[in-house]
Amino acid sequence: MNEKELLQHYKTTGDLSALGKLYSPYMSLLYGVCFKYLQDPDRSQDAVMQIFEELIQKLRHYEVDNFKSWLHVYSKNYCLMQLRKDKRTTQVDIEDNLFESEQKLNSSEEAKWEERDFERLEGCMEILNQEQKECVRLFYLEQKCYKDIADLTGYDLNKVKSAIQNGKRNLKICMERKENGK
Amino acid sequence: MENNYQLSRIHNYIHGLMSREEMFQLEKEALEDPFLQDAIDGYRLQNGVDAKQLSLLQQRLNRRVENTIATRHAQYYTWQRLAIGAAAGVLFVVLLALLYFKHFNGKIERTTDVTLSEPENMVTIEPMLDGGDATPLDGWKAFEHYLNNQVKDAVKGGDIIVNFTIGKDGLPAQIQAEGTPGQALVDETVRLLQSGAKWQGSKGRLKITFPLKEKKNPSQSNVIKPPHCFGIEKS
Repeated sequence: MNEKELLQHYKTTGDLSALGKLYSPYMSLLYGVCFKYLQDPDRSQDAVMQIFEELIQKLRHYEVDNFKSWLHVYSKNYCLMQLRKDKRTTQVDIEDNLFESEQKLNSSEEAKWEERDFERLEGCMEILNQEQKECVRLFYLEQKCYKDIADLTGYDLNKVKSAIQNGKRNLKICMERKENGK
Repeated sequence: MENNYQLSRIHNYIHGLMSREEMFQLEKEALEDPFLQDAIDGYRLQNGVDAKQLSLLQQRLNRRVENTIATRHAQYYTWQRLAIGAAAGVLFVVLLALLYFKHFNGKIERTTDVTLSEPENMVTIEPMLDGGDATPLDGWKAFEHYLNNQVKDAVKGGDIIVNFTIGKDGLPAQIQAEGTPGQALVDETVRLLQSGAKWQGSKGRLKITFPLKEKKNPSQSNVIKPPHCFGIEKS
């Protein structure tokens, strides 16, 4: 059974082994996600198990279309709730989260590009700030990895990463605005 | 497993074991896949992938799934019993109903169990009492039965009226046919009478009807008694 069939099978029968099969491949990624927010090995492991417990109920009632991205958002929210509960302050980069929540809406968008799309892109590149412009060019056009970009530009690795993420987001917004403006 | 592959890539990425191209590839994937990006961020914070930790986590999940299945089975056990009990009850009622109907219908069926046989397929005899007083020692019914069993297929069918006397040995003698029946019919009648049962009385006069050959069905011709035969005796 593929993921969709497993999901449907679990929803109709409540067969926990089906849910186990569905969940198991994502556990190691989930652990990483939980660790990112909770920053504690034991809490992260418990969180992975607790999320599974919650899915037992949720997946019988909700229609889930894309399990992977649904699971990601669900887990992230779960971790943020945990943090809020014990009122522990953890710095979460708001830019990162903005970027991610938009991402999931557009993940399958790899439409055909026409000539005027490239013109638009060139125009939009100009609105990016210097860091973003530089990093996006190096990454997307010259296909350099973050580390190389950091070495080339002298920026911190994390800065490179967020410059690319945010640059990409800004480009997307700009492109959509131009398209709709026509 | 794709899962392990992805995990080892994350491991290699964090520990700088990848080529530049591989790093770029993973970074690009992560840009399209925030789930992956988050996981990478998490493992980087943890300073690497701990495989043992993850296999413990996998075991926890397996135990969780198995436990629930076990308790669910335990819960369903009584439920299953109820279902089986209910099914057995229904079956019992159905069985009773079937038995009742069968018994009820059986009474009606018994009265309809009648064997019909077609007289035209039988050899029949008609004793002509005006011409004689002879009767077979074993009775007319047995005699007719004998005729039906012994008649040869060579006979084409038809009527014959025969007169005969009863000899001292009790067998018909001086058998004579009336009219002009076919020779085969006469021969067969004589043969049947002479090799058949003994008679009592002195003279006999019989009309014997042989069935038409085409219609003759051996299995039917052996059926005992046409109801119309004669009411002389009862079995």
